[in-house]
Amino acid sequence: MNYPESVSKLIESLSKLPGVGPKTAERLALHIATKMKEEDALNFAKSLLNVKRELMKCPICGNLTDKNPCSVCRDNTRDRSIIAVVEEVRDLIAMEKMKEYRGMYHVLNGAISPINGIGPQDINLPTLLERLKNEEVKEIIMATNTTIEGESTAMYIAKLLEKTGIKVTRIARGLPVGGGLEYADEVTLLKAIEGRREFK
Amino acid sequence: MDIKSLSLLNFRNYSHLDIKFSNKLNIFIGNNAQGKTTLLESIYLLAISKSHKTSKDKDLIKFNESYSKVCTVLKKSDLELKLEIIISNQGKKVSINNVEKKKISEYIGTFNVVMFAPEDLDIVKRDPINRRKFLDIEIGQTSSIYIHNLNQYNKILKQRNEYLKSTQINKTIDFPYLDILTEQLAIYAEKILNKRIEFIKKLNVYANKIHEHISNYHEKLYLEYISSFSRDLSKLNLNQIIEVYKKNYNTDLLKGSTQMGIHRDDFRLFVNDIDVSIFGSQGQQRTTALAIKLSLIDFIKDETNFYPIVLLDDVLSELDDLRQSQLLDCIQEKVQTFVTTTNISGIKKEIIDKSDIFFIENGNIINKKEGGNFDKQ
Repeated sequence: MNYPESVSKLIESLSKLPGVGPKTAERLALHIATKMKEEDALNFAKSLLNVKRELMKCPICGNLTDKNPCSVCRDNTRDRSIIAVVEEVRDLIAMEKMKEYRGMYHVLNGAISPINGIGPQDINLPTLLERLKNEEVKEIIMATNTTIEGESTAMYIAKLLEKTGIKVTRIARGLPVGGGLEYADEVTLLKAIEGRREFK
Repeated sequence: MDIKSLSLLNFRNYSHLDIKFSNKLNIFIGNNAQGKTTLLESIYLLAISKSHKTSKDKDLIKFNESYSKVCTVLKKSDLELKLEIIISNQGKKVSINNVEKKKISEYIGTFNVVMFAPEDLDIVKRDPINRRKFLDIEIGQTSSIYIHNLNQYNKILKQRNEYLKSTQINKTIDFPYLDILTEQLAIYAEKILNKRIEFIKKLNVYANKIHEHISNYHEKLYLEYISSFSRDLSKLNLNQIIEVYKKNYNTDLLKGSTQMGIHRDDFRLFVNDIDVSIFGSQGQQRTTALAIKLSLIDFIKDETNFYPIVLLDDVLSELDDLRQSQLLDCIQEKVQTFVTTTNISGIKKEIIDKSDIFFIENGNIINKKEGGNFDKQ
């Protein structure tokens, strides 16, 4: 016997989520069908629709938002002369948790990676170049990941901005804060040595 | 550096095996297909994290079993280290003293091996890929930075090739992006190249000494690194590598892949100024292969301060008396050695007398004789 159609459809939908395989999808679907209260299911369905219907990408910075422009871009107390370029919305959220950075953001929604079919034209770059024309920006912080793809994306954008005279910086790499040297692997240590600074 | 014990679970034809070692020289003896080489393979795996026989880890799991485990206890100076590798359908887990290492580069190099196998002749006789593999494994054993650089290089190479291919379909080329990929590739190419040239330089010194000795001072061995960038190695700095790449954009774009780089390099072996890969006799090629393998023992000792473990897979009885003596000289009493053979008649009595001998049959040890009291039959 197979599951009733409504259940198999739910399984199919759930298995489209990242990190969810057929077995997990089955377990989740059965949980929803048998254990979940109707009220909870309704809320779940509503929030699914809400995130799709009410959320959009901020036309200025690419952040996920329910208002146009997003709360960061609307905030007049922030420093508009500095923009941190990140790969994903979750990177922006991570930066915001630090509560120290008061500049603006730009979310690329990915990194250039030809093997994943993402070329230079496929990331949210044109809006950044547009912003630089209109806004008074003094510094761009490249806060992409330290992977090969994040690195080439950062270098690529830096190259495009070479002629604009805007200062382009790269976030530092190396030892984790509070970590002992003996616990760092060789490659991390090497990066820390390469990125050393003089005491001023 | 000594291996104190080895235990295998569901590894190839072994269901379960625990062996303790107390001697420097150890011989595994048995008929073909009983599991002698598998023991060396497991030691090699524990050191390099890969098999020398297969690139598919799953091949190592015993038929009909779901996972395989190999484990060894090492004595390194006064330190005891427990290394463990588990291979299952989910992949490979490596750990040192029960602490899992997420990065293979943090694991490799805990101890080193030099494996002598009949396939060593491929390094001398066959395609460049055999020599590049030799370089990468042997340098990687002593430098985790090298492994990291090589991995980074291969990742960028993949991206660059994919991009070159995509320009053929899209008919547009973003040159600033191609420049970036090229610069990134060149940065790692330069690091790898320098390390390889340095390695060849060191090997030259050790290998020539050994080769001269084996050939009774009739022959001189010389290794020369061949870079796909330029014949003149002294001129290869980062900027020049980038220049060479840029001059070749058209060819790369036309072919849709990166034509030059350390993935196309090679090294040549000269005996008395003659390329031994092409013009050498069978005997010269064997001597050359033996000399470069033996020179690794000194190289590893110099780089790491510890002697490697030496593994001789079916090669000792193939060597004549002189070469066996030469091997013994290099190993002396300092290097723990594991030998496989189908019979001991080809091996010098001097070696036999000093060895612990393990008799292997069908994935089991059926007998053991301690060194010093073995009667040659």
